[in-house]
Amino acid sequence: MPQILEEPSLRRAFRIQRIVIGALLLRELQTRFGRKNLGAVWLFLEPMILGGCVGAFHLVLGHGLPGGINVFAFYVVGYTPYYLFRGMLNRAASALEANHALLYHSRVTLLDVVIARNLLEGAAVLLAMTVFLIAIGVLMGDWPQDPILIAAGVAWMVAMCHGASMLILAGTRWGVMTMDRLVHPFTYLTIPVTGAFFMVDWFPSHVQPLLTIFPTVHVFEMVRAGQFGPSLNYHYDLVYMAAVTVALNVLGMLALRAARKHLEI
Amino acid sequence: MLELRDVHKTYETDKGKRHVLKGVTATFQKGDAVGILGRNGAGKSTLMRIIGGVDHPTSGTIRRRMSVSWPLGFGGAVHPLLTGADNCRFIARIYDRPLDWVTGFVQEFAELGDYFHLPVKTYSSGMETRLAFALSLAVDFDCYLVDEVVAVGDHRFAQRCREALLERRGRSTLLLVSHQPDIVRSLCTSAATLDQGRLTFHEDLDQAVAAYHAL
Repeated sequence: MPQILEEPSLRRAFRIQRIVIGALLLRELQTRFGRKNLGAVWLFLEPMILGGCVGAFHLVLGHGLPGGINVFAFYVVGYTPYYLFRGMLNRAASALEANHALLYHSRVTLLDVVIARNLLEGAAVLLAMTVFLIAIGVLMGDWPQDPILIAAGVAWMVAMCHGASMLILAGTRWGVMTMDRLVHPFTYLTIPVTGAFFMVDWFPSHVQPLLTIFPTVHVFEMVRAGQFGPSLNYHYDLVYMAAVTVALNVLGMLALRAARKHLEI
Repeated sequence: MLELRDVHKTYETDKGKRHVLKGVTATFQKGDAVGILGRNGAGKSTLMRIIGGVDHPTSGTIRRRMSVSWPLGFGGAVHPLLTGADNCRFIARIYDRPLDWVTGFVQEFAELGDYFHLPVKTYSSGMETRLAFALSLAVDFDCYLVDEVVAVGDHRFAQRCREALLERRGRSTLLLVSHQPDIVRSLCTSAATLDQGRLTFHEDLDQAVAAYHAL
């Protein structure tokens, strides 16, 4: 059997982290999408209900969206990454509670737990989105123009929210309830500004710089660019997206490290 | 070797700060079997949690030159929503052990019967302790951090635990916290007392027990 305590090295540290994250992924899968849990069902049902209802609403009223784009596709492509944003942020505060017992193993770190949860969330949403986009392509004939760009957008959303989720988890040193009371209203009240349900190009050019302050707006624009292709104008700034993502991740990791000794397991 | 240098731990509570460990310094060598005697609330479990890496010290350093188990007998370590078997697989994975072997060993050692395939939250506390202890043996650590509840409790299992721990004596280290001198005498070769956040080592077991009774 391999020694538990080999010579300490960076390579060994990465190997252990990879093993631990792999084990945590399987463990999260068991409780979150397990046999008796409706997690998997909701993942598909929520965007479908929203996309379906809003799509039907527009159909009844008889007017579409600017640019004549597929209404159902527009809401599905907006809602699924939003589901990711909301899920990752709302769930961040409970990461410790949900894995409390497993953190008795000093090999399992809080960072590993957050990474595993967020990877799983990202993979699940990407899967749901793929199913929807294929269904829209088959049933309505509107195929994604650039699937790679959509996947990149979803991955970017995961990376951005990962940074934020570490900050939230670090904040639970002041109590999980405190963070829940801040984060849940935040994800709810910011729905209109996240960019999930509007396109920047619909607004006058002097308003646009204001809209693009909220960083997720860029991600949604990127995903829509992948779905609807070059016939429309999109407003996303890769430099701004990268800067926000790096800043959130660096701050998040530092905050989590500083909070660790105040977090009781 | 396992070394603690001037370890302090303060918990923030609603009633202000509680200074539980006030400068613990200690060195444990491979093969040591040390009993740590302390009254209820002396900080025994805090010390075990810090040595095991569950909690981080407020100040001071810990150096681990051997693999150290998680604190055994304090709860935790197994996930309540997963079955015993799923927990086995999780632990085998994180410690890089063969899955089948760990599962087989634990099934035999912990004697959980059908409960092995039920979520841990349905277990009695004794069953949970058995599962966690069997798992720690399967991982095969260099150093075991054990609370006395593991070695007392259910007679038949307590006997097997003591045998397992004695069988390891010499090749692995044992740190046993207890408030019963008899348990310490039967499993350990030296002892220390923990009182008011400080750890004191004694010449031999008799002196340690005498010092403990004098507290």
